[in-house]
Amino acid sequence: MFANFDFSVIAASLPYLFGQGMVFTVTLTALAASGGIVFGTALAMMRLSGIPGVTHAAKLYVELMRSLPLVLVIFWFYFLVPYIGAWVTGSTTPIQVGAFASALVTFTLFEAAYFAEIMRAGIQSISKGQTAAASALGMSYWQTMRLVVLPQALRNMLPLLLTQTIVLFQDTSLVYVLSLTDFLGAASKVAQRDGRLVEMYLFAAVVYFAVCFTASLLVRRLQARVAIIR
Amino acid sequence: MTSTSMPAPTTGTQAASASEAPADEGLRAGPLVTPPPATATGQPMIAIDRVSKWYGEFRVLTDCSTSVARGEVVVVCGPSGSGKSTLIKCVNALEPFQEGQITVDGTRVKERGTNLPKLRARVGMVFQHFELFPHLSITDNLTIAQRKVLGRPGAEARKRGLDLLDRVGLSAHAQKYPGQLSGGQQQRVAIARALAMNPVVMLFDEPTSALDPEMVGEVLDVMVELARDGMTMMVVTHEMGFARKVADRVIFMDRGEIVEDATKDAFFGQPRSERAQQFLSKILAH
Amino acid sequence: MNYTWNWGIFLEPSPEGVGTYADMLLSGLGWTVATALSSWVIAFTLGSVIGVLRTLPSKAANAVGTAYVELFRNVPLLVQMFLWYFVLPEVLPVGLGTAVKQMPDAPFYTAVLCLGFFTASRVAEQVRAGIQSLPRGQRMAGTALGFTTAQTYRHVLLPNAYRIILPPLTSEFLNNLKNTSVALTIGLLELTARARSMQEFSFQVFEAFTAATILYVLINLVVILGATLLERFVAVPGGR
Repeated sequence: MFANFDFSVIAASLPYLFGQGMVFTVTLTALAASGGIVFGTALAMMRLSGIPGVTHAAKLYVELMRSLPLVLVIFWFYFLVPYIGAWVTGSTTPIQVGAFASALVTFTLFEAAYFAEIMRAGIQSISKGQTAAASALGMSYWQTMRLVVLPQALRNMLPLLLTQTIVLFQDTSLVYVLSLTDFLGAASKVAQRDGRLVEMYLFAAVVYFAVCFTASLLVRRLQARVAIIR
Repeated sequence: MTSTSMPAPTTGTQAASASEAPADEGLRAGPLVTPPPATATGQPMIAIDRVSKWYGEFRVLTDCSTSVARGEVVVVCGPSGSGKSTLIKCVNALEPFQEGQITVDGTRVKERGTNLPKLRARVGMVFQHFELFPHLSITDNLTIAQRKVLGRPGAEARKRGLDLLDRVGLSAHAQKYPGQLSGGQQQRVAIARALAMNPVVMLFDEPTSALDPEMVGEVLDVMVELARDGMTMMVVTHEMGFARKVADRVIFMDRGEIVEDATKDAFFGQPRSERAQQFLSKILAH
Repeated sequence: MNYTWNWGIFLEPSPEGVGTYADMLLSGLGWTVATALSSWVIAFTLGSVIGVLRTLPSKAANAVGTAYVELFRNVPLLVQMFLWYFVLPEVLPVGLGTAVKQMPDAPFYTAVLCLGFFTASRVAEQVRAGIQSLPRGQRMAGTALGFTTAQTYRHVLLPNAYRIILPPLTSEFLNNLKNTSVALTIGLLELTARARSMQEFSFQVFEAFTAATILYVLINLVVILGATLLERFVAVPGGR
């Protein structure tokens, strides 16, 4: 079936695929996941704050992001970020923002909505007795959050946060629509240049599968361990 | 106020009952705490003045008044849903209340300018479900509030924490996590954690009701010891044996009201209200 | 900021010759909905079968179900889209491959198949979880009444499981709907693609995206409303 396919094109392009493409993908995933978890946690705390305006603003943000396709959000921010940059710096013309920075902002803000829902469940899973005990020891709201609630919420939700990060890793392939050179983008460029679509896309699929499958197995093992400690 | 008298605190003249704590070292000799010098002698440690609380239409506390003198041990009892846990949580403002006032060691609980974290840091509380922090080791549980709330240096906090852990007979478990200890052991750690803050008063909210029966004794022993060291205590409990042994006064609550507030002898001798009599007969029958 | 708003743009004729920009967006919405519904038929049917496989006592059935779910869950949707669109016709027998490539509306059929198979893996997980959340006695009661395994699933387990997993299925349906936008990469002229071309032709980027955003939010609301009504309609009296 694969008689007329030439898989040597893969070997020849490995340095480009991994040295550029995969490095981009992993960097974007790691930065966006970190930023997304921080901002998502803030959103979750806002949503649970019980302060009318704050709660609603967080809820609106999360629900809006979750009802939009990521591709549309990528386009939104691609055009919006230069204007936001201009607004922040007080410039009168849109700021030129690199494609990577634009993608990073997009993924951080988009995934934050999903991380926020995980962290909200995590914070709500901590019993009221724990916060009461922290208060009874004289801790302030922020101390209670930082020392008692968030560490436990993060630990309980770690498997879910990591699973969401695997989803994010896959989602970053959508930077294709901005013609960026992530792993899939690199594979695609080689495929177009050498007319080897079958080989390159199959190879990309195999690599993504190997990475994500291995990662999800590791998360499952971690989940079992966390479950026992609890 | 139905309070009859305010007896002097009982001192540790009677020999402490031999501790029978299983599976660990048991209680060490020596006082658990040195009560801090009274700052404003004469006024009660806790004054609860006409406190009422409700959720929407539902009244949980109605016009509750009582007080706890320095060094006094007051047991609060009553059927479930009588408001006793709510009342004790009002003392350190874990529960808000709509009317009345509570004063703890001269500080008004319900007042704009009151620094609640600061107040709570001086009031120790022990919970029904222990509420140790499961993500922290026993040592960290004992030291975290000392360091972060009182600002004590790590070494000092650690020394005080481990010292108290030793006093409750659990020094061998310093490196463990709460989930690795039995309920009774966890509750003793929780008491040590509260004591580590050098509280002027200790609140106990049904400290033994979540424990397996064989573990109740080890926790009560620590509390008896504490009472005999002169700690001011307000204890919500059904353990009438404990009340008989160390309480100065007993408060009986029902349906959000303080029905009876009497010296221990008066309460166990002849409670005046019918509801308290019924409650006692039920609780002492089995 | 020197962005010139022009909300009247929607009523201006689109460069396609027929209709306005608003018509262009609405036709995109039509393709989005058509793709979402068609692929959901595959996703729901196939997903139920795979989900059931994973709850059967047979080891082989389990392995097939697990392999399916892992395969489709661990490859990015965009890559799957490319595999269906660019790779599949090449590895088919030559005649069939050519026929596939020359099919009219090829992006639509490809997107439907791709999303159907992709979402099936997610539906399967929900179906499995739903069946496993039922009391074990249900299966035994079915068997005790003389039902075959298939009858037990058909009459006892699945009707209950579907009711339980209606909320997560709703969100999978919405995910599927949002995922249709990935098909713009293979040339499907769905809503996001139309908003993007409107932006390219008219330069009114924020009007175009705002309109698309509002349309997506509206479909979300309609689906959630529909799911709520469905939930009420299928609720069992006295049920949890």
